[in-house]
Amino acid sequence: MKTIVITGSRKGIGKALAEHYLATGWRVIGCSRGEGSIESPNYQHFALDVSDEDAVVAMARKLKATHGSVDALLNNAGIASMNHALLTPASTVNRILQTNVVGTFLFCREMAKLMRRTQNGRIINFTTVAHPLNLEGEAIYAASKAAVESLTRILARELAELKITVNAIGPTPIETDLIRGVPQAKMDALLARQAVRRMGEVRDVINAVDFYLREESDFITGQVLYLGGVC
Amino acid sequence: MPDRPAIEALILESVQMLAQDFELDALKSPTPDTALYGEGGALDSMALVNLIADIEEALSEKFNLSIALADEKAMSARNSPYRSVCSLTDAVIERMPS
Repeated sequence: MKTIVITGSRKGIGKALAEHYLATGWRVIGCSRGEGSIESPNYQHFALDVSDEDAVVAMARKLKATHGSVDALLNNAGIASMNHALLTPASTVNRILQTNVVGTFLFCREMAKLMRRTQNGRIINFTTVAHPLNLEGEAIYAASKAAVESLTRILARELAELKITVNAIGPTPIETDLIRGVPQAKMDALLARQAVRRMGEVRDVINAVDFYLREESDFITGQVLYLGGVC
Repeated sequence: MPDRPAIEALILESVQMLAQDFELDALKSPTPDTALYGEGGALDSMALVNLIADIEEALSEKFNLSIALADEKAMSARNSPYRSVCSLTDAVIERMPS
């Protein structure tokens, strides 16, 4: 049974992804700040902050002892704060960078160690269309995801020798807690900038993740795939 | 807490296993003085990354020690802790909780 680690699996896209991969025969290891919300004999949950280095290292050591290796990582955990730059406190900046950048990096580092011997590891990071669209009000969120994209491209090179691919997906807005509270007019304006003008759905994300996870995708690395025709 | 011979034995075993994986004849029978990385060493940077990860994992599994060998201290050291089995042993001992 293959093992996939999914961060931010308590709710939203992360939970849907976890349920999907459980249904398709994977062992799923999830994590979130709070307790897990998925009941399955093939699901294991870790309650931790993804930017807490000691906690992430301890999780990796437990996985090594229990399962030996990890086949794939979905770095889904992320937070956003939509506000004008002039009204954004440094504490918010730090919080977003810690979760989105430091958390993504720590999981890449620790899970890559557990993928070394599989010779077919897959890391998939999550970015956003807010970065290429330069959305006002999302300066720090978009900047944090720009960092994730750079991390993705460089890790793709560093981990290629270990036969680990590193790619990213940039979803459009999907109905989740992350965009709750965004005014409808703003959402309509955003959708108008997509080639395909509809809200994203979880199935769109699953489709892209499945593509990256395929064994035949071992020649695809360092790529960022935006959904909805954003480029 | 493991003593120096135990740490050294763990590192020697890790080097031997890596030598098999990477087909490095020069490291198949390592001693404490065997050069690893840098002048006279047989490891390239990727093999070194793997060795450090292997040693950190082995320290955790065998001795329940959580030690980061690739820390800022190691990066800035005048004499690299990665140059030989002996210097790596020193580096582990320096980082063990007192």
